[in-house]
Amino acid sequence: MTQASALLWLSGALFLIGLLGVVIRRNALVMLMCMELMLNGVNLSLVTFSQQRGDAAGTVLVFLSFVVATAEIALAIPIVLLLVRHTRSLDVERFSDLRG
Amino acid sequence: MILFIVGLVALISAASMLVLREPMRVALALITSMTALGAIYGLIGVHFIAAFQVLIYVGAVMVFMVYVIMLLEVREHVAARRYSRWLVPAGAVGTLLLGAVGVAASRASVPATAEGATRFGLQAFSAEFLSTYWLEFELTTVLLVSAIVAALAVIAVSRRRQG
Amino acid sequence: MTALMPHTLLLIVLLPLAGFLANGVFATAVGGHRFSHRVAAIVGCTGPLLAFALTVSAVLALQAGGWTPITESVYRWATIGDSSFEIAFHLDRLSAIMTLVVTGIGSMIHIYSTGYMHDDKSFGRFFAYLNLFLFFMLLLVLGRSMLVLFVGWEGVGLASYLLIGFWFDETANAAAGRKAFITNRVGDAGFLLGMFLLYRAFGTLDMDVINASLTAGQTAGLAASLAALMLFVGATGKSAQIPLYVWLPDAMAGPTPVSALIHAATMVTAGVYLVARMSGLFMLAPDASQVIAVIGVLTAFFAATIALVQTDIKKVLAYSTVSQLGFMFLALGVGAYGVAIFHVVTHAFFKACLFLGAGSVIHALGGEQDIRKMGGLRKRIPVTFWTFAIATAAIAGIPGLAGFFSKDEILWFAYASTSGGATWLWALAAMTAFMTAFYMTRLTWLTFFGTERMSPEVSHHVHESPLSMTGVLGVLAVLSIIGGYFGIAHFLEPMLPLPPVDPAREHLEHTLLYLSIALAFGGVGFAVFLYGGAVDRVTGIRRAFAPVHRLLEGKYFVDELYERVLGRPLVWFSERVLLQGSDRTVLDGTLNGLGQTAQRAAGLLGRVQTGSLQLYALFVLIGLAGALLWSWRHV
Repeated sequence: MTQASALLWLSGALFLIGLLGVVIRRNALVMLMCMELMLNGVNLSLVTFSQQRGDAAGTVLVFLSFVVATAEIALAIPIVLLLVRHTRSLDVERFSDLRG
Repeated sequence: MILFIVGLVALISAASMLVLREPMRVALALITSMTALGAIYGLIGVHFIAAFQVLIYVGAVMVFMVYVIMLLEVREHVAARRYSRWLVPAGAVGTLLLGAVGVAASRASVPATAEGATRFGLQAFSAEFLSTYWLEFELTTVLLVSAIVAALAVIAVSRRRQG
Repeated sequence: MTALMPHTLLLIVLLPLAGFLANGVFATAVGGHRFSHRVAAIVGCTGPLLAFALTVSAVLALQAGGWTPITESVYRWATIGDSSFEIAFHLDRLSAIMTLVVTGIGSMIHIYSTGYMHDDKSFGRFFAYLNLFLFFMLLLVLGRSMLVLFVGWEGVGLASYLLIGFWFDETANAAAGRKAFITNRVGDAGFLLGMFLLYRAFGTLDMDVINASLTAGQTAGLAASLAALMLFVGATGKSAQIPLYVWLPDAMAGPTPVSALIHAATMVTAGVYLVARMSGLFMLAPDASQVIAVIGVLTAFFAATIALVQTDIKKVLAYSTVSQLGFMFLALGVGAYGVAIFHVVTHAFFKACLFLGAGSVIHALGGEQDIRKMGGLRKRIPVTFWTFAIATAAIAGIPGLAGFFSKDEILWFAYASTSGGATWLWALAAMTAFMTAFYMTRLTWLTFFGTERMSPEVSHHVHESPLSMTGVLGVLAVLSIIGGYFGIAHFLEPMLPLPPVDPAREHLEHTLLYLSIALAFGGVGFAVFLYGGAVDRVTGIRRAFAPVHRLLEGKYFVDELYERVLGRPLVWFSERVLLQGSDRTVLDGTLNGLGQTAQRAAGLLGRVQTGSLQLYALFVLIGLAGALLWSWRHV
């Protein structure tokens, strides 16, 4: 197993752990953090590919995803705050008003 | 070798996020994982990404997160369940996928670097970024503008709620 | 004579349109009745009167120019490939006569209407419609191209529809208007087909061009008989001939001036005008002409028999109109086109006079139309009586009056024309003439002579009509007297030559003349004998011929027949096949089915939308696994 493939496996593992976290945890803040972890996993794979190919595209994308991730968390946390103020709970299973 | 150890740290701290009960501990585990990732970036030679990883993720995002956790002080009920009802199926599928990805990664022979490709530094990155990828940059700014609008909407909602 | 002002013909056509627009906007509910009755009347009458004056000047200019047709191109309507369609007006001997009649009689009836419609709440609307009618009628008679003629043709149909249903708050009137419109559509289809055939053969729709090529003998690629018959189908619709005459008696639901103008003097003669205008075509189609003669004489005969027993004053006149139109078509069918137009003119004079006189009677009696409830009006409304009597004498064919000359010429050519004249045509027409004299005298007698049969309070209110009405009646009565001396048939001869007369029959001309005079006097005398004497004479005859009487009173039950044969199957088809079969089952079923399918599918999919974030993320996980599995197998 080369270094690159090991890093790719690590990136996939991080992404999957993040996704699992989103599925199995009930705390809204924890879910948010798991999503950050997913993003990190993807970033790692992008950097790895970029380094391996000697191409700037992946790195540029990572750079941009930093920016977007920051903006995203800056929006997501106020939303969670509003929800908590509304229901006094962080349990996302209480937030099911949009049920079909 | 160092790379392997750091990678292991990142993996273990990420996995611990799944089982820790307190949000603060989860946040600390995530910070560990992110820092380890930053170390990996540094070890494979993309130093500026490593710097941004530590600065933006650990320095800005996670500090914000920790601050909110402390601010909220919402104690989850002791009897509150930690896991959702999808624990078993999700765990099964997730483990399966993890194994599949591992098998695929170990089988594939990915060369460390492509033939003829040279690793590049900050200077090459900057030149590429501003000459070839300027459109992506601009699109990101558009995305950020819409994020500003969304932020304003959220503020309006909270104001209305307060009366 | 000074040269003609440019665009005179256009102006003649547009003046009534201007009147329509002004009255239509400012004197109706559209513009909030901004015109008083007086202003509306002035506006309504000015257009037709000016148009009449202009027509006179145009005809004088035409005469000064040695009767060379005046053509005025107004506007290129469309250019398709090599052929262009122009809106052009064409004034020659034929259209000059028609335009004079239309604007002249039209103006008089407008003036009459100011008195007749005085108390109507929709006064302005009435004049707007009348002006609109004149506009389309002038378009019809002045148009050079069949296309322009067709626009006028449809337009007068529209105006007729609007005016028949003028008092639309009664369902019967609205239904009568609808009947007229729909019946005319049947004829219009034929007209259109005939027009297409002519266009295919000649590549133009300008009627003088078509006539010229036909006279020059160019008939290549033209089924002349077919085209002629198709045009005649159109004419039967507009001019109320068998089998499409049924709308005209019902059209009497409109105000009486409308009946006089549209349904006696002008619009219904449009079919006659069309056939005369296209005479070049009909001369080449002897079998079609034969059909026209037969239809004409049958229409004349049967309509006259129906008129014998009608009791509504306007219905009698309506059937009389149908009958007289039949006479005109008889003349057309035997090739005497000029004579037909002659009869159009004289008929316009005396029938307008009769209708307007009937209107005056109805006006005097406060709306009563049943002649069984009239009588003895001779002294009470003398002007109306005298004019009505003169017009009756004219239509009956009393020598010296207008109707005598034109009718006698028709009878003569029906007998002696070498292009289709026959003894039996003459015989039927002569019997019709006898019946005409009879029923018209009966009408006059029952209305004006004998004892008063109306209720006392109606009798108390009987009054002579205002000057605007009686004056017009006087003018028309004078025209009914002198109209026969105009010699229109001979005036038209350079354009519409009279058919040659069978030499073997020529010597009978005077015999037939005396015979028809005898028939006219006989009809009048018989009617006076029957109705002037004891009542039991009439009832005796009626009892003796009870079945015939019932048949005539039921108008041969043609309406009922049409209802059975055409109406009911159509209703059944619409109801069962189109509405229930197609619309409800297929169309609605499809749409409702689609809607229900979408609803059910949405209901099923909606269950997935549980509101649980984790479940959505689980779907992402499963989808990822699926994508990976798929790529493993396929990439």
